Amino acid sequence: MKAILSIAKKDLRLMFRDKGDVFFTFVFPMLMAVLFGFVFGGQGGGSKITLALVNESGSKVAASLADDLAKDESFEVTRAETRDAAIAAVRAGKAAAAVVLPASIEEGAGAMFGGGGMEIDCIIDPTRRAEAGLIQGKLNELAFRQFPRMMADPAQSKRMFDQMRASIESSKDLSPGQKLAGAALAAAGESFSRSLSPETAEGAGTDASAGGFSPVQVKLEELPKRKGGPRSSFDVSTPVGMVWGIAGCVGAFAASLVVERSRGTLARLRLAPISRMHFLAGKGLACFITALLVQALLIMLAVAGFRCAIAQPAMLAVGCTMAAFGFTGLAMLIAGLCKTEAEANGAGRGALLVLALIGGGTIPLFFMPPVLQTLSYASPFRWAVLAIEGPFWRDTAVSDQIAPLAILCAIGIGGFLVGARLGALREAR
Amino acid sequence: MFPRRMRGAHHAECVRYATNPVLALRDIRKAFGSTVAVEGLSLEVRQGEVFGLLGPNGAGKSTTIGIATGLLAPDAGSVDLLGLGSPTNPRVRMHLGLAPQEITLYGELTARENLLFLADLYGLAGAKTRVDELLALVELDTRADERTAGFSGGMKRRLNLAAALVHDPQLVLLDEPTAGVDPQSRNRILELVRTLASRGKTIVYTTHYMEEAAKICDRVGIVDHGRMLDVGTVAELIARHGGNSTVTVERDGAEVRVVTADPVAEVARQFASGGVTGVRIDRADLESVFLALTGRSLRE
Repeated sequence: MKAILSIAKKDLRLMFRDKGDVFFTFVFPMLMAVLFGFVFGGQGGGSKITLALVNESGSKVAASLADDLAKDESFEVTRAETRDAAIAAVRAGKAAAAVVLPASIEEGAGAMFGGGGMEIDCIIDPTRRAEAGLIQGKLNELAFRQFPRMMADPAQSKRMFDQMRASIESSKDLSPGQKLAGAALAAAGESFSRSLSPETAEGAGTDASAGGFSPVQVKLEELPKRKGGPRSSFDVSTPVGMVWGIAGCVGAFAASLVVERSRGTLARLRLAPISRMHFLAGKGLACFITALLVQALLIMLAVAGFRCAIAQPAMLAVGCTMAAFGFTGLAMLIAGLCKTEAEANGAGRGALLVLALIGGGTIPLFFMPPVLQTLSYASPFRWAVLAIEGPFWRDTAVSDQIAPLAILCAIGIGGFLVGARLGALREAR
Repeated sequence: MFPRRMRGAHHAECVRYATNPVLALRDIRKAFGSTVAVEGLSLEVRQGEVFGLLGPNGAGKSTTIGIATGLLAPDAGSVDLLGLGSPTNPRVRMHLGLAPQEITLYGELTARENLLFLADLYGLAGAKTRVDELLALVELDTRADERTAGFSGGMKRRLNLAAALVHDPQLVLLDEPTAGVDPQSRNRILELVRTLASRGKTIVYTTHYMEEAAKICDRVGIVDHGRMLDVGTVAELIARHGGNSTVTVERDGAEVRVVTADPVAEVARQFASGGVTGVRIDRADLESVFLALTGRSLRE
């Protein structure tokens, strides 16, 4: 055991003294996690904001508002049949927010002189908080734009002023004199609205909020926390970064094993009273420890820096351990397959890159087209991402985490055995 | 200083040392594919001697060393180390130290860290003291805490040699230990080898430099095309294969060459006849031996 620890200690020391290995193992994955976090969070681009729109009202005002939303250059609007369907689109990442025009929208608009207002529900993806302000502002603007139209529409205008008159008459707080004055005001307003043409209504201003008057009420809420939904974009990007970190370890340690063989240091070590398995176990232990370290570092960054909350800490520890184990076996396999340092650094790291690309190491699996999703089953990255994502933010049932954990375990054992055998054959030559 | 894990077997093994050759290779054959690297090679290395394996590049010296370490399995033949059996057994193998032809050091570790790491692998007690001794022996004690990547070729070679000695082995295999170093560093390494021999180490030294073999080896084995052509002291080999010496005499501006088995007597005879203005003796050397044994020069 002491020999194994000595080899692991030596390898860790060598790794931390190699600036390239430190960068690709620790710094690069952090950059990936942060960069993808911002990209997934919608803070990095200037593209249109996707909205899932539900019109629960059959009213003219709702239809007009829906049309305005669809025409607005800031938005790309897809229609949803129901509120649940719109929320599902947000959960699936297909829309940044669900905008619901409720059945009561016309009634609310009509009651604006009676303390009511046009209510709009907006359910936002928490990973797209940066866009929430813009969405809310735009909804207010477009909703206000409906009032002059309502005034210019005789039927809507009449309904609105009728409601106003009914509200004044039924009020117990107003004196008879005040009720009379209110009725006169309603009559004057109605007369004025009749004089408005649709053209002048289109050109009317939208600032009607002065004096505490709130005719538009955009109710903004975040998508309710639910199993299987990321709470922030860093929930998604952190496991990806972690897997890149592990891949960095794999590249570094596979290359170091090939270097030991090609430069002759392995021959010297094998003269010591240690078996080949001792040697490989020492190398593997160093890779395993580094893989755990980089994962711990990224988890700390996510929790402390981006306020990510871990759904299942114990299972995450298991997932990280198995990911480190599986990829350590992969390092052994790559080392066994590569004959020279150039092969290990070129073909070995290249193969890792391809596996990362198809396994969800760059783009999350759920963003991938179906063909790539199928291909991803062949990539250890897929299983590592799933083993980490599940307990990190998906809050996946433990029974669903067994498959990725078992596959990583099999990759670890298989990679170690096959890599050891291939290495032995190379040494014999 | 025996490694902790070896002490129990130490006494019985010491008894065997006295009665057996330190290293015995018998009828070794090794081929890599269709290339035969070693064919029917036998040799015995005695306790405390510096045994030279002399031959051109590709003669099979390094393959022989690989087989002697137990890291390379021969296709045929047997290897015995200290009468303990085959060095493929790690417990037997730990009695030998190897300085391979390549520099087998970790460039990002310091000289001290390199040696301490190896000492850890052997489970040495008092590793720090032993490492300090070795660093002093190879004159690297003042550079002990520098990373070896910055060392000169000669310094790396000396540390490479020190790494072979960490566990105080009985037999030290030095595979081309002066390859690629300057003459000054070469001399230091040769002195180091003599120092080790004077301390009772048995050394197998491979080289293709006949001057080195002649200078430090007690016995030399001439190897070519994977075969051991002859073994003996330098004098014995020259006597057997070197042929006569050539005495060149200058007299009255002319040179006269005389081939003789006794050059000293010939010089005396020439001086006695008078008129000699210059004389040179070209003795047979290992180059002549190699030429006689293989029909070609060692440097070809």
